[in-house]
Amino acid sequence: MPEGPMAVVKPEMKSYIWLQTTDGSIQQVEEDVAMFCPMICREVLQTGMGSSKNYAISLPQRVNPAILGLILDYCRFHQVPGRSNKERKTFDEKFIKLDAKKLCELTSAADSLQLRPLVDLTSRALARMIEGKTPEEIRETFNLPDDLTEEEKLEPLRNLTDDPRIRLLNRLYARKRKELKERAKVKNVEVEEEQLVDERPVDELLSFINGDGESKGVKAAKNKKKNRRRKDLSGNFSSNDSNCNQFKEPNHLPSGYLIGDIDSATSQSKSAVFQDSASVTFSPKLEFDNELDPAMEEELDREVEDFARRLNSVWPERMQEMLSLGQERRPVPVSLNGNGAVK
Amino acid sequence: MDNDLREDLISDLPQSIIETILTKLPIRDAVRTCALSSKWRYKWTTITDLVFNDKCVSSCYDRPILENKLVSFITHFLFLHDGPIHKFALSTSFLQSSPDIDQWLLFLSRRGIRNLSIELGEGEWFRAPSCLFTCSKLTHLELVRCELDPPPKFKGFLCLKYLNLQQILMPPDDIEYLISSCPLLESLTLSYFDGLELALHAPNLKYLILEGEFMDICLENTPRLIAVSIAMYITDDIAEHFEQSSSCNFDKFLGGVPCLERLVGQIYFTKYLSIGIDSGSTPIKYHHLKIIELYQVNFEDLNEVLAVLRLIVSSPNLKELHIAGPSNTAAAVVGSDLGFWEKECPTDYMFDQLKTVKITEVSGTLHEMGFIKFLLEHAPVLKVMTITPSAYVTEGRLSMLVNLVRFRRASAQAEVIFVQEQP
Repeated sequence: MPEGPMAVVKPEMKSYIWLQTTDGSIQQVEEDVAMFCPMICREVLQTGMGSSKNYAISLPQRVNPAILGLILDYCRFHQVPGRSNKERKTFDEKFIKLDAKKLCELTSAADSLQLRPLVDLTSRALARMIEGKTPEEIRETFNLPDDLTEEEKLEPLRNLTDDPRIRLLNRLYARKRKELKERAKVKNVEVEEEQLVDERPVDELLSFINGDGESKGVKAAKNKKKNRRRKDLSGNFSSNDSNCNQFKEPNHLPSGYLIGDIDSATSQSKSAVFQDSASVTFSPKLEFDNELDPAMEEELDREVEDFARRLNSVWPERMQEMLSLGQERRPVPVSLNGNGAVK
Repeated sequence: MDNDLREDLISDLPQSIIETILTKLPIRDAVRTCALSSKWRYKWTTITDLVFNDKCVSSCYDRPILENKLVSFITHFLFLHDGPIHKFALSTSFLQSSPDIDQWLLFLSRRGIRNLSIELGEGEWFRAPSCLFTCSKLTHLELVRCELDPPPKFKGFLCLKYLNLQQILMPPDDIEYLISSCPLLESLTLSYFDGLELALHAPNLKYLILEGEFMDICLENTPRLIAVSIAMYITDDIAEHFEQSSSCNFDKFLGGVPCLERLVGQIYFTKYLSIGIDSGSTPIKYHHLKIIELYQVNFEDLNEVLAVLRLIVSSPNLKELHIAGPSNTAAAVVGSDLGFWEKECPTDYMFDQLKTVKITEVSGTLHEMGFIKFLLEHAPVLKVMTITPSAYVTEGRLSMLVNLVRFRRASAQAEVIFVQEQP
């Protein structure tokens, strides 16, 4: 090629490489520019392809014509040896001012052509789009589906970050949990009662006051008794009209409060518990209590204690299990001893 | 068309690209991607380059809490990580030595760690556990403020190419052994060592950076050395040692570096080089030496001048020369050996490649001016000579200029720039 300050490069003197994209279209590209891509370079050197239209080099599937144009612009600029680092950097900064879709396509295409510097450049741009953004923003940018459960979203993060956003999510989650807990309490209480509380003595004790004709029978009686006990301890007074009321009232109290109360109750003397209940204008209960044998009383106390302990230790895991069964199949190991020993 | 717009743009890119992107994020953001979507839940767990620093945890004023948070973050991260770990870098000003760090190192040694960099806070130096020496795949090792005690059966890091030790407590013999037992070592940096006598055996070593109070440096076996940068501090002990030394440091240091391309000597290096030097030329030529930078050269010490002369005269392909005078003394006009320059400089010697010369901290002393004169007369292709007077010299500048103007120049294109404003 004629060299000289005023040399005009005649078109037929430059050599071209022919490239074919997956949509079938064929382009011709200046040799220096195309050879900047390692994959094309290798194809030319190893297979001799690309020298004419019929023997165009097939580019990988991820390279579409529009993206190929961008890549060739990049190569055209950078293959010129005389440029300063500053010039190259300025070009790069302008080059990656693209939307997320184009950047992702460009990264993918550059990777398939093995153009590592361009992969690094676009990856850095994508990283900048992710850094410091909230998950919602990132999902918006890249059209990611929001298909994780709350639980899954928090799980690894809980250990790793103390991000205030995570703490907020935790709090919201705790509130949701509580609501679910309250809704499932009926079922839960029944299940727990069956497994944990020895039925017989309670049954006997309650039999004579079980006058509501509740079809649940024993269970209802137990529930009533339990609820009443709870109500006494927490100081809630209401008539013994319907089971539903009894069920509902304790629900309005935060569970922690309930548990705490039961705990404190067990730490007091047995008589104290019933003395408290004595102050309640709940005559049926009082009468009932006064008619207990000491032996029955002891049984009752033990059950209260047991139940409190179990509430404290088992309820959170049971709750998780309930929720997880509702949302996804994921076993949560819950260890329960026969006598409900605390873990 | 609508479907196209909602199409997930990024999750199906090849894992190598995803990892590249995640590696370019601060590690905390990388972990947060687990909450994006089900595909992204575990993408972060396979990244192979981990960089931890104080920004991994939200800041708070209570230091023990911050330490605990950082330890907890790293421990949990490693526990949840899946796959090999190639790079682990920890740089923190809060963490001190702790059993957790030892456990992390044990964990890393089992994951094929290749690039390890640990810089902990000031205070009690980190004592490296023995599992560090079982990381057989290490290619990069960087330790700051660390106590190293290699176990007796340690045979060296056979893959190590890059070693950077800064403020390390290690028996001197062990340092030499460590260096010589890494056969592939290409780059070595030792900073802030005290009173070290170093004999380097590193047949593949290309880049050497030393900074500290070295008693003695002997490049015994470093034939491939390309670039050297030495900053030598001198204490009274070392000065005494220098006075009593009988060997020729020039030969000891520059005797076995035929491939040297770049030499940078700072602080007292030229003084070190000058010890034991004698007149007469050296047979060794540094054919590849293109750039020489010597700082704090004391032109009043004729031995130092001799060392500089010998160095530049033995470098036929020298392109760039930068000499700086001592930065802390005012002009000392000593009426010493005036015939020095005619005696010592080969009159027919020409610097055939020397294009750029920078002389800074010039006080205008006799020998400094003699040196400049010598250069100007013997550099036929010189393009630029920049002379920057020392900040301490205010009155002598005019006489400096007067002398400069008088000097003959071998190069017709030479520009001599006298810098007035201090940069």
